[in-house]
Amino acid sequence: MTAIQARATHIPATTSRPTFVRQLRSELIKLMTVRGTWWSVGIVALLTIGIAFIVTSAMSPPIDNIIMAVIMPVQFTMMLAGILGVISVTGEYSTGMVRSTFTANPVRGAVLAAKAAMLGAFMFVVSLAIFLIAAVGISPLAAAKDMALDWADPLKVIVPIVAASATMGLFALLGVGMGFMLRSGAGAIAITVGILFVLPVVITLLGGLLHDIEWVAQLADYVPSTAAQYAILPSDGMPLSPAAAWAVLVAWPAAALLGAWAVVRGRDV
Amino acid sequence: MLDLCEIAQICGDMPRIWSPDARGMAPQCHGAAGQVHPAGGRGGSIRPRNVEDMITAEGLGKRYGDKVAVDDVSFTVRPGSVTGFLGPNGAGKSTTMRMIVGLDRPSSGRVSVNGKEYRQLGAPLTEVGVLLDAKAVHTGRSARNHLRAMAATHGIQASRVDEVIDITGIGSVARKRAGGFSLGMGQRLGIAAALLGDPHTLILDEPVNGLDPEGVRWVRQFVRHAASEGRTILLSSHLMSEMAQTADHVIVLGRGKVLADAALPDLVRAWTTERVHVRSPRAAELASAVSGRDVEVVTSSPDTLDISGLPASRIGDLAFEQGIPIHELTPTSGSLEDAYLALTGESVEYRTRAVPQAGAQLEEAHA
Repeated sequence: MTAIQARATHIPATTSRPTFVRQLRSELIKLMTVRGTWWSVGIVALLTIGIAFIVTSAMSPPIDNIIMAVIMPVQFTMMLAGILGVISVTGEYSTGMVRSTFTANPVRGAVLAAKAAMLGAFMFVVSLAIFLIAAVGISPLAAAKDMALDWADPLKVIVPIVAASATMGLFALLGVGMGFMLRSGAGAIAITVGILFVLPVVITLLGGLLHDIEWVAQLADYVPSTAAQYAILPSDGMPLSPAAAWAVLVAWPAAALLGAWAVVRGRDV
Repeated sequence: MLDLCEIAQICGDMPRIWSPDARGMAPQCHGAAGQVHPAGGRGGSIRPRNVEDMITAEGLGKRYGDKVAVDDVSFTVRPGSVTGFLGPNGAGKSTTMRMIVGLDRPSSGRVSVNGKEYRQLGAPLTEVGVLLDAKAVHTGRSARNHLRAMAATHGIQASRVDEVIDITGIGSVARKRAGGFSLGMGQRLGIAAALLGDPHTLILDEPVNGLDPEGVRWVRQFVRHAASEGRTILLSSHLMSEMAQTADHVIVLGRGKVLADAALPDLVRAWTTERVHVRSPRAAELASAVSGRDVEVVTSSPDTLDISGLPASRIGDLAFEQGIPIHELTPTSGSLEDAYLALTGESVEYRTRAVPQAGAQLEEAHA
């Protein structure tokens, strides 16, 4: 028996080896089996559904599209999407799990891609379910107040919900990128929340102070949280077209993940 | 070498350590035959070893800023034996192990497993099992889920996860969060993870650290058994007595360099002095009778001498010539610990003062 035959009979080599799909499965198991994930999902659900009800009951006709009551909580829940992305990575670094992860699959780019894809997909699916529950939940109340959701027109309900879910997924990716780059949970959360919440405020402040310089105020359109508003519920007269808004939304996490890939490849774990 | 039948009797399900498809490694012994052939035995031969199944470091170096952790280290870890990795704290053992499995990038040189860099291995878990430290586990995840996540990367079946849980004896805590594990349970979980892919090569950094005596013995028998199947094993430990019982070959690191790389008995012989323990009612007379160049006599009590530099036969002859009665004449060889301390004496970063032995009196006997 030659060594090669022996190897083939010993372990079915074609079946036991890392593939991208298997890495995705592994990342899914990891995501589902820590409490932090379910805390984040729970808080997103609570905020989304709670705020949707509060906004709906506070509103009165005429209202253009009451779906905004369901979408608006993204302003707050985007932070949780980002944090979940961060802790899914930094939790591995702080506990040493990352050494197990990178010895099981030493192709670090594949691990990063799988983790990002899984976090983005998970956040998208979870958000979609939560937005749908919120929309269905407020329907009787909205109808009673003569502001019924127009389920028949996809552009009025389904498309905004899908778009909002996609932005939640993208915010989670931003967190994943930051987590891999910084490795420290506190640092990565600070930067991610900074980009989502603090950056718009800073730009608005600067825009007010430097009102002679027009482009400073325009920068505010290119931060993720503002672009998300343009992308989810576009309307005429907005500074960014939906396509441009989506480009901005994708560019931020893409940049973070590229940066992460650049440092993770060669760095000692 | 340990008797395989003995192992099989102690650990009835030993062959299941590797994989359910019996690989014919069940020891052939009568008493325990029923126990050791759980899978009915397709009874093929163990996979033949070849020269590729080894760990080879060539001029391996690692520096962190100004500090050189590993300096031009070359060695080969061969299949079919247990290679012990020894060295004081900070000698570079863990750094070297991390470089072997591709976690740290060497500053110079290279290291390969089965002829390839770790990052180039097609299916790492099935080729190399790694226990780097017991803490490479997310504290919030249960042991079983940790193993499931690891197994999923290679498409390894859930049945194998349950098997390694069984083998390492962590069944009772497998559904508890790993963060609450004792050091010993953490080690067992780490070993379980290393076994998932039934690997040919095992790299175990301090596997017995924190284990209870039963666990220590289990690891020893387990690595001996694995080596007897022709697997390649690199094992580090601070417990010299444990290493002496487990390793065939020893690589000693000190301050990032290889201080010794030899078969264990050769190392002990080269770095310790053989002594002869002698008891005689006329010990003082015997001490002067044997004195000579290169002979060292230590009087540990009025009637006992420890003599080095002369073989027991010569001491007996000298005593006979002088008519000195001898009550005991025992040659003693040094231990691995003695050899290790002699070797690393210069390279220990944090050393303790020697405790003076009460009553011991050194007599330098010059001619």
